[in-house]
Amino acid sequence: MTSDLERTTRRIAEIIIDELKLEDVTPDTFDADLDLVDEVGIDSMDLATIALVIRDEFGIRIDEDDYPKLTTLRIIGEYIADKRSDGE
Amino acid sequence: MKTVSSLLDSHWHDRYRRISRLNIRSSIYDVTDRCNLRCKGCFFFSSNEHQAASEEKDVPRWHAFVESEMARGVNLAILIGGEPTLCPDRIEAFYRRLPTFCATNGIVKVDRSRFPDLMVGISLWGDAADEIVLRGKDTFAISSANYAGDPNAYYLYTITPKQLGKIENNIRRIKDVGLKVHMQLLSNDEGVDGFSWRPDELAAVRAEMDQMLDSYPETVVSSKYYHRIITTGTMCGRAFGWMECPSVTDPLDKRDPRPKRLANFIRWASDLKTMHRCCTSETRDCSTCKDGAAHMSWVMVNKRAHMASSESLQNWIEVYEMFAKLYRFIPW
Repeated sequence: MTSDLERTTRRIAEIIIDELKLEDVTPDTFDADLDLVDEVGIDSMDLATIALVIRDEFGIRIDEDDYPKLTTLRIIGEYIADKRSDGE
Repeated sequence: MKTVSSLLDSHWHDRYRRISRLNIRSSIYDVTDRCNLRCKGCFFFSSNEHQAASEEKDVPRWHAFVESEMARGVNLAILIGGEPTLCPDRIEAFYRRLPTFCATNGIVKVDRSRFPDLMVGISLWGDAADEIVLRGKDTFAISSANYAGDPNAYYLYTITPKQLGKIENNIRRIKDVGLKVHMQLLSNDEGVDGFSWRPDELAAVRAEMDQMLDSYPETVVSSKYYHRIITTGTMCGRAFGWMECPSVTDPLDKRDPRPKRLANFIRWASDLKTMHRCCTSETRDCSTCKDGAAHMSWVMVNKRAHMASSESLQNWIEVYEMFAKLYRFIPW
């Protein structure tokens, strides 16, 4: 059974692949614990782009101060879950 | 999936980690509309930017302005002008709060008792003969006396076509006064005869810049990839120009599609209200722009484009390190 967190994490993978035009990975092969900065090579501008899509799709706002914490797909998924449970 | 660690050995990966989370957010500030020189080719005057706004003279307003800049995430203030050293109280508004870089012609010495570690970039446009043609005086004689051995100062050597074959003399005299140097190329905004670049001259200056880096690695702060980018105007098969430049003032940036760009970047006029189009002249033809910082930033914001191969990512790291050293986010 797929949990909400897994569904969210997979959707974030799709967003990142789409927004950053990653060609050598799929949502199925994207390691949820891979460090997005140190390994995937995304930067703060990429994160800003992704944050806008997440805001529109999940209805939550990601503070720019939080960008440094959002290091993996799983952590972003948990961040979204926390924000949603806070009723944001 | 192509990852950073799959492209880099441990040495390069350590270097990558040292810079990958710096998250530099710079903006540029005209501190004043005045200068104590009038250089031919200075974009500030040639494009009438000194008349774009009337400078704010109330120092407390400068302090409040810097606070508001910090609130929007700026973590590096790049002060240009006019000549910033004519207005030390305004410099202090930035220096007290932020990593601050001050571009100067070096005629006036920054008071080191007041600004002990302010990073100073001293402009130099060539040897004495060229400096007299373009700037009216041999500034090196004055600036080198003011800053010899200063660990927080370096030369920004703007190379002109007239300097071909003579670059080493300038590098050596900078080395001899105990300073470092970063090289960039003149954009001949005022069309001074003989100072516009021809393709063969750009190829020659690239070779000469490479040679300087090999011969004076302790003095020259640069990278061969940067030399390639700035002399060819191309990167990853793309040509530099308006639709690629990362250093456009954010609120004025209406480009579609929006290129990869510096986050929240603004170049402010000295009234603290007016914004200039970009980091350099509003009237410059972007396809011939040779601005060094804009080309460095162009590389820096395009990290993933450099993840095609190990060599390409190493090139990106070297350019990012160069920028981080020049603005003292990492040591020399």
